Amino acid sequence: MIKESIFLMAAMCVSISAQAVERISAVGSTTVLPVMAQAAEAYHAMHPDLTVTVSGGGSGVGIASIIQGTAQLGMASRETSPEEQAKLDGHVDNIVIASDAVAVVVSKAVYESGIQQLSIAQIAAIYRGKIRNWKELGGLDKRILVIDKEASRGTRHVFAKAVLGSSHARAEGASIISGSNNEEQMIVSRSDNAIGMLSNAWLNDEVRGVDVLVDGKAIAPTIEHVRDGSYPIARGLHIFLPHNATAETKDFVQFLLSKQGQAIVKHVGYLPVR
Amino acid sequence: MLILLWFLVDASWPFWHDFGISQLWASEWYPYESLYGLLPAIIGTAWAMLIAMFIAVPCGLAAAIVSSEILPITWQSWMRLGMEMLAGIPSVVYGLIGLWVLLPWLQNTFDLLTGHNLLAAGMILSLMILPTMMVMSQDALRLIPIEQREAAMNMGMNWSQRLLRVLLPQAWPGIRSGILLGLGRSLGETMAVMLVVGSLDRVPQPIYNILEPAQTLTSRIGREMGEAAFGSMHFSALMACGLVLAVAAICLSLLAQRKSKGFVL
Repeated sequence: MIKESIFLMAAMCVSISAQAVERISAVGSTTVLPVMAQAAEAYHAMHPDLTVTVSGGGSGVGIASIIQGTAQLGMASRETSPEEQAKLDGHVDNIVIASDAVAVVVSKAVYESGIQQLSIAQIAAIYRGKIRNWKELGGLDKRILVIDKEASRGTRHVFAKAVLGSSHARAEGASIISGSNNEEQMIVSRSDNAIGMLSNAWLNDEVRGVDVLVDGKAIAPTIEHVRDGSYPIARGLHIFLPHNATAETKDFVQFLLSKQGQAIVKHVGYLPVR
Repeated sequence: MLILLWFLVDASWPFWHDFGISQLWASEWYPYESLYGLLPAIIGTAWAMLIAMFIAVPCGLAAAIVSSEILPITWQSWMRLGMEMLAGIPSVVYGLIGLWVLLPWLQNTFDLLTGHNLLAAGMILSLMILPTMMVMSQDALRLIPIEQREAAMNMGMNWSQRLLRVLLPQAWPGIRSGILLGLGRSLGETMAVMLVVGSLDRVPQPIYNILEPAQTLTSRIGREMGEAAFGSMHFSALMACGLVLAVAAICLSLLAQRKSKGFVL
């Protein structure tokens, strides 16, 4: 009788631990974050045994966390650097779940004063500090608030590579450094003379994306132009999945790539990969 | 304490070894180009601290004098409760208040490109150290025995004479501790400063220009630590920033510990 009950208790313990909720953390790009957060919620509704805690920090932080093993999933909105890739090769899968456009954004007041399209050369001149007043571009006589991003941010890498020629290029014209997409969006929306860089999903009435001139043709930062490849500052959004991840984690990543997961990608405003 | 220092020295050693102490006054910080000049952040930290003290010390002292010498006892306790509540609010809340209230105000008042600047950081910090300053000074004033006050009154001193010749000199050790604790907090505060300072790694032009975005040591560490790979030179340089902060804080607390006689600082 005693033996039986001990056995029963042991069995219960095992079954409890088998049913215990698995918690994993996903860290990195604040561009990928909304997709991850919504997918985690949808997945949790179907599989209560997996809880995904999503936090930002930037692509560099996401990749570093995976390399150091402090997170179970990494998020990045840029390609890995060769040094980073060397540390990931062989034990971490780099999966692209969506793509988007890095929009060159300006404050509403700037947009309405007539700055609705800029060439790459003009944007580069602003970030290099060669152009400091909107007047020089046909706008109002106002100094330009040039918003740069922290060096670890994926958006910064992609933007600097497309505009300034190298992903770590200096931006001498920068007036202020911002961090997450939300922080940048807030600075732009609260200013009357700002220019910045944001994923197309962060555009709104206060934060307008300008068209980028390519061979004399104005290309708007829209998903359609990412799809047809005409928008010059586009990129893939990456997820990093370590090979030793649990089956649940792997299943969650499959969910991101499934029809339902890709519908979330589309809903957030990015281009699905499938 | 020694373990902490040893850890910081150890972690930042590759940086000191490869770049040397001259990085303390080098002005370019571009981790990707292996340029690790600490000067912009050191100047930023110093300015933020000075501005904070410039506002908080007179205000805190005045509040302490008013509440312990002038106001009736019920008001005193209310004021103290308020100050203690102010002291308990998490720093990120101060940062958010700064973002939503202070920055637009600064931007409009001084007609600036952006309100993110050293003045904003200093003002937020002053709000955060004001309670410490006031509570410490108030305690020091209250500890002065009633006999001393009566003696001063009997000597026919008027109110300002009593304040300047008897009360403040007596309370000075406590006031000084308040100042030093406030300095320590303004030195180490990260979150609120990070939100309002602008995080631009550039020495202010000219150096007394506190209305441009700048960087402090704490906000640099807060912004970049997540990305720096453990053991890399960037990591080591950030640890060096930490070491500079720790050494400054230790100097401050040694000053605070030192027995004082009269107006010696």
